[in-house]
Amino acid sequence: MIHNRLSVFRAERGLSRKDIAGSVGVNPQTIGYLERGDYAPSVELALKLAALFGVPVEQLFSLKPFAPLAHSLRDQES
Amino acid sequence: MFIRSKAHPFGRQLNTVTVRILLTGLYLLYPFGCILQLVADGSAGGVTLSITGLAAVVAAVVIFTVLAGSSLQRQTQAPENLLDERERDERNRAAFQSHSVFSGVVLIGVLYMMLTTDMANNDKLHLWRPTDGTHWNAIFGGLILLSFTLPGAIIAFGKAPAEAD
Repeated sequence: MIHNRLSVFRAERGLSRKDIAGSVGVNPQTIGYLERGDYAPSVELALKLAALFGVPVEQLFSLKPFAPLAHSLRDQES
Repeated sequence: MFIRSKAHPFGRQLNTVTVRILLTGLYLLYPFGCILQLVADGSAGGVTLSITGLAAVVAAVVIFTVLAGSSLQRQTQAPENLLDERERDERNRAAFQSHSVFSGVVLIGVLYMMLTTDMANNDKLHLWRPTDGTHWNAIFGGLILLSFTLPGAIIAFGKAPAEAD
């Protein structure tokens, strides 16, 4: 299974699924499937999404579950 | 078969639960209507049964026309370049599975025909067999409805309902 932070990045940028879907050329439902982890994207789509948010692909997708955002912030502070 | 309309060029968006209800209705009403029509022949109250059966078949055809204009049906019929990678993946998987299911249904039908023909020839058991054009039309009509809707049904029943944005 591939984990992702798509919904976090999307919320941060204030984008809708439709906006993202239009930018990377997929159906808005596909963004929903990705966010729920019901669909693993192709390398091409993963790279397009990473480029859209301006981050390396491994910050958006991972084979291991991402740590909760609160944990990451706490680790940075300590 | 995908019926494209000017109002919905990419098909009418129906939620997964609605599509599942429509498909279940289609798969129950059509055979139910055909069986009622069959039973109505020469039975007491045959006219009522026949009208009920006809109504069930008509309802099934109406459901089919609704499904034929849906975005799900577009996904199963549209050219590859009009679908995204997830839709293509789902469609290819559904096409493979529906081929297996449809082959199974046809195989069961053929085995049933072999069995009933053999039994009838030996005077052992008289199971129902299609005997005239109306019977065959009903069977082929059902197979056509099944073949057109099966890939969509496999997608609809295989996935969790999509969330709204």
